[in-house]
Amino acid sequence: MTGSTDPDTTASPIASLSRVATRAWRDLLSIYYANTPIWRLLKSAGLLFFGFFCWSASNLVLSYGIDWSVLYVLRAYGFVLILWGPLTHAVIVPSVIRLRRTADGGVRRVIARHGSKLNLSIFLTIVLLLTAAPVSPMVLDFQSALSADSGPDVDPELTCTSTDAEIHCHLSESTGIDHVVVTSGTDEIDRVDEPPFEFTIHEDDLQEVVGQTEFVVELRDEDGDTIRRYRKYTSSI
Amino acid sequence: MAHSYDVLGLFDNEYDDEGFRTCSVTGLRIHHTVENHVKLFGLTAVVALLVGGIFAFTVATTRWEAIGLLGPDAFYTHLSMHAWNLLIFWMVFTEVAILYVGGPMVLGRRLPWTKVATAGWVTMVAGAVAVNYTIWTTSAPNEAPLLTAYVPMPVSPWFYAAASLFIVGTVVAALPFFVTMWHEKRENPGKTLPLVAFGAFVTSIIAVEALVGGLVAFVPAMLWRFEIIEWVDAAWYRQMYWIVGHGTQQINLVAMITVWYFLTHVVAGAEVVSEKVSRTAFILYLFFINLGAAHHLLSDPAVSTGWRIWNTSYAFYGATFASLIHAFAIPAGIEAGRRKRGTGGGLFGWLTSAPWGNPVFSSTIFSIILFGFLGGTTGVMMGQLQLNMTWHNTFATVGHFHATVVLGTTIAFMGLIFFLIRTMFGRQWLSTRLASAQPFLYAGAMGVAVLMMMYVGILYGVPRRTVEVVETIPGTEFSLSAASPLFAIFGVFALLAIAAGVLFVLLAVGSLLFGKRIDGRDGVSDLVADGGLAMAEDPDDPVHAYEMRGTFVLCLVFLAAFVITYLLNWYLLTQLWSIGA
Repeated sequence: MTGSTDPDTTASPIASLSRVATRAWRDLLSIYYANTPIWRLLKSAGLLFFGFFCWSASNLVLSYGIDWSVLYVLRAYGFVLILWGPLTHAVIVPSVIRLRRTADGGVRRVIARHGSKLNLSIFLTIVLLLTAAPVSPMVLDFQSALSADSGPDVDPELTCTSTDAEIHCHLSESTGIDHVVVTSGTDEIDRVDEPPFEFTIHEDDLQEVVGQTEFVVELRDEDGDTIRRYRKYTSSI
Repeated sequence: MAHSYDVLGLFDNEYDDEGFRTCSVTGLRIHHTVENHVKLFGLTAVVALLVGGIFAFTVATTRWEAIGLLGPDAFYTHLSMHAWNLLIFWMVFTEVAILYVGGPMVLGRRLPWTKVATAGWVTMVAGAVAVNYTIWTTSAPNEAPLLTAYVPMPVSPWFYAAASLFIVGTVVAALPFFVTMWHEKRENPGKTLPLVAFGAFVTSIIAVEALVGGLVAFVPAMLWRFEIIEWVDAAWYRQMYWIVGHGTQQINLVAMITVWYFLTHVVAGAEVVSEKVSRTAFILYLFFINLGAAHHLLSDPAVSTGWRIWNTSYAFYGATFASLIHAFAIPAGIEAGRRKRGTGGGLFGWLTSAPWGNPVFSSTIFSIILFGFLGGTTGVMMGQLQLNMTWHNTFATVGHFHATVVLGTTIAFMGLIFFLIRTMFGRQWLSTRLASAQPFLYAGAMGVAVLMMMYVGILYGVPRRTVEVVETIPGTEFSLSAASPLFAIFGVFALLAIAAGVLFVLLAVGSLLFGKRIDGRDGVSDLVADGGLAMAEDPDDPVHAYEMRGTFVLCLVFLAAFVITYLLNWYLLTQLWSIGA
């Protein structure tokens, strides 16, 4: 009734282990040589995903300065596997199996008998070569592009004070800013083109948005793109 | 017997004098009131999928900066349209259909309160159209809401009104399901519900909880925006909002698992290995799954340390444990069921001999595999207090929920729609070959796209919701250009996935309009499991007498992937700073 065989309760632990290992090896071989369309697809897609994972994860760990040799091998293995996994199970294994049925001698027969070993050897050779001499597409750069001579972020403080219904604002620095635009609701209230980008607006010009009188200050670059945006409420100035 | 509102012959199945017919695939006795409403909600869901899919194109081609289709203002509007139509409307319309399948259809009852069900549909459609309108017409000072319209961000008050209308409509549409359950238990007090009905019932409880939470958040926000009340506490709003914000995704999860049990049984001959264990897993969801919402607030300054620790405690793993039970029970059920049918040689013969050419089966299996490996594992990581710091508000988060909602729920629901086209609408697929290929294309392409989202997020810290990062972050010298290669892979595969999504809509709509009409059992014989469903009922051949070592090996592979990913994430976290260095 069941698909399994009853375990031999009298077998020694070594015999049991040996039986399990033999069975696992046979299962592995049967999966490697499984050649139905769905098996080809599952193995190809599975190895593609696995290759991506090995490649990116080993790159990442390496970028943190962990200099383990095995990571270089894993990176090359993952990178090659992205292409070689689908190639093996979608093309080479089916071809080898077909050759085993049809090859009647000569080179075709040799390829049929040793095709998989040949394929694995080429694969491992490429992995070893790329381990020793990685090509640039397989090396992901995870380091920040910041360098010592790069400019600072444009992130000045905006300070506003209110006196007699007038609001005066100024920025703590002007570097990197081309112009400043002040809006409230749908209206543009002010535009300042010259450093140090100070401005004064009147509370009567401001609109009430969601129950609060507010204005928005946008710092823009020479292309008109917004660099920083501040929303200020008169009640909190 | 055609329905009085029949359109294009879509509601014209033959019923007996009592209004029932027997499904030749599932053997269920189906009343026309249930069937017509399932069709109605299913069709509406596909329309929402189409609308959301159009915006998937504009969003993906913007985030792939090599194209950079939209500017910042338009992007957020498009992103909001994408999110509401796919994450809410496509899902929730399908889920109401699932409730009607899991309730009255599985129990062989008519749908009670049909006018209420129809009124629910009308209200939901009105709400959905209005939400779309309010998002699309967003203008200053209002902002497009996406899904997180956090108070005090200015959002059109009519948006809150429309969202509340949709929620009310969904609760109304769910009422006939609850009435069905009430009648069933009154008439059969000692009888347990079938597992699919039980799953649907748990789904409905979580759904109502989430929907009521939505009203608790949206109605005060609406009153505040109409200036009827002066203010809403922002921290309180965020807590209430996530009851619906994440709760809707828990509905997706439980509904999806219910669909897994249903479809694997029907088309692959899966049997339930242990009813009690599977039911217990559903009950664990009921108690613990809402804790998953907490991961959105783990970086929120307003919640206390105690709140964070409780919501990331072992209680949270009650839901994870439930998912792991289903992750074992469903493949084990397929393996044992197929071995029982004599189609399970070797370690994985039961899996490879399964009907992979049937898109209903392949969709379901891809949903299980991809949800488990990509969506579930990352969800557990994001739900942990410490690891959340490396995921929060990065593109990896977007990868996570695409892995759950798209690779999991959407693919499962696509399989369900393929099934409904054949069994309820009685139409052959427009092209069997294309229908067979569609789940492979969609799952494969979307799988790689999602993987890239996670990589650029977790590995480079690329933020979510922004238009531009690779070129430059405005106002800074900081550059993420190193992420360009992975973004290129993301872009190509995202477009391939969208193409596969278009193929699904074309197949679904084309089959309904032009598909050959099915007459009799022969037209659907390819949907039935080997040996027929009756084998599951054989008391002399219990399912647990069959080995499940293939499932055991798959679970070990899953465990290994989980452990490696978990360790890698912790390693990343330890590298954020060096104490004492």
